[in-house]
Amino acid sequence: MKALSLALATTLTLVPLAASAQEPPVRWQRRSGPTEVPVTVFHSTQSANLPTAETLRKGELLFEISHRFQPAMSQGSHALWGLDGPVTNRLGLAYAPADRIMVGVLRSNLDDNLEFNAKARVFEGGRESTPFMVGVMGGVALNTQTIGGPGYNGDETQAYAQLILNTRVGGRLALGAVPTFLHNPRIADATAKNAFMLGVNGAFYLSSMAAVFGEWLASGARPDYNDESLTLKDAITLGLQLETGGHFFKLMVTNSTRANPAQVLPGTPYSFTPHEWRFGFNITRVLKIGG
Amino acid sequence: MTMRIQAALRVLAATLLSFGVGPPSVAAQELQVDRDAQNVVRFTSRTQVDEFEGVTDKIDGYVLLDGEPLSATTGGDDTELYFEVDLASLDTGIGLRDRHMRDDYLEVKRYPYASFKGKITHTEVSGSGGAHVTAAGTFTVHGVSMEREIACDVTPTGPGYRTTCGFPVLLSDHRIDIPKVMFLKLSNEIQVDVQFTVSPAGNRPGRKP
Repeated sequence: MKALSLALATTLTLVPLAASAQEPPVRWQRRSGPTEVPVTVFHSTQSANLPTAETLRKGELLFEISHRFQPAMSQGSHALWGLDGPVTNRLGLAYAPADRIMVGVLRSNLDDNLEFNAKARVFEGGRESTPFMVGVMGGVALNTQTIGGPGYNGDETQAYAQLILNTRVGGRLALGAVPTFLHNPRIADATAKNAFMLGVNGAFYLSSMAAVFGEWLASGARPDYNDESLTLKDAITLGLQLETGGHFFKLMVTNSTRANPAQVLPGTPYSFTPHEWRFGFNITRVLKIGG
Repeated sequence: MTMRIQAALRVLAATLLSFGVGPPSVAAQELQVDRDAQNVVRFTSRTQVDEFEGVTDKIDGYVLLDGEPLSATTGGDDTELYFEVDLASLDTGIGLRDRHMRDDYLEVKRYPYASFKGKITHTEVSGSGGAHVTAAGTFTVHGVSMEREIACDVTPTGPGYRTTCGFPVLLSDHRIDIPKVMFLKLSNEIQVDVQFTVSPAGNRPGRKP
């Protein structure tokens, strides 16, 4: 009887092992978790004029066409609410040679301004509910059409450097601060000076495809480079943004008729009052280059 | 005494086998996705104005065959298969589009996987050891399950099989809404093409715990 008990115990111990090696699996054990979704703060690489810390992915190319209509919307039907023009045009190309790094070129018809720039996202972190990103951007701009005139020293070159601080709160609100250093803000001066300014921007995402956005460039008062009698004011923009799988469409009202960063950053002769609002738009398209 | 023990063991073994405990008459074989192989899951959206693909290699799962090797008799309730695709890993080539796909359409934070769970219903052996295999089961994406029949071509490779499948998926079947602004760019009918290799599971991780 003792032997039988031993045999039974031994058999009951061994049989389940043999059976488990041959039974169909009844549940699946994952070998890895799901892929981590990248953090997003601002959806776009820029608001209207200010950069965000968002960058393209390696191998992506961004094409941009933007307009700022020079007549105020308040001119009414006589000027088709500003759409008759003339218009300040900006064409841009940007390319990402690596993830988180972009290089670009912008060309505006205002003084035939040509700019070369680069941007990098250097930090991303924070909590899932309040992600935080830091980026840096710099650019060198040149007016290829010399303005000339009394007092002009011929130095048409400008340069800027920006620190980009972005965060998102409450899931739908993205906020940014962009401390900016600008060399030669007033190209009419005989001696180039330096200026510091602060840009702030925000976007409230109504859905994943639509947002309202705004930006404020606190640049400080200085005389306009074309008209000494005009004191420049802060450039402010409010707009609506629609995005699809590769496009951004941004429609905006603004008190600035300038387009390239080094031209917008010093300020605008117009106040941000409804009477001085101008219509503008940015359209960007992201394409993949190569495989 | 030894004779009595042996007799008791024989009776015990016979009793256990009569209850189905023990090796089946035909050896079952578990095959598992070989994650080192060139696995590809590709979906294609075609409209009159746009066409794009999403690609990933993040497919995993297993198939249990009732006999070894694959033959014309393979199929039925003794077979079992389960495959899943990590949807957040799908890459359409444009980061902005990937984000829309993840957030707006697939909602991967709530539904991170697409899966197919079922059994083999029919096997038609072709030349060179390959087969045309039909499986029936539950296809789940976006948290919505559909009963589907999926046909695949299977060819031997090394100790396992290379499997190629293709089937359409209607986004509307899985309650994936297409925004009106996107109806020209994203088709309701998505073609899914899958290629992967399964090999004997052995004792590798991923097998039944």
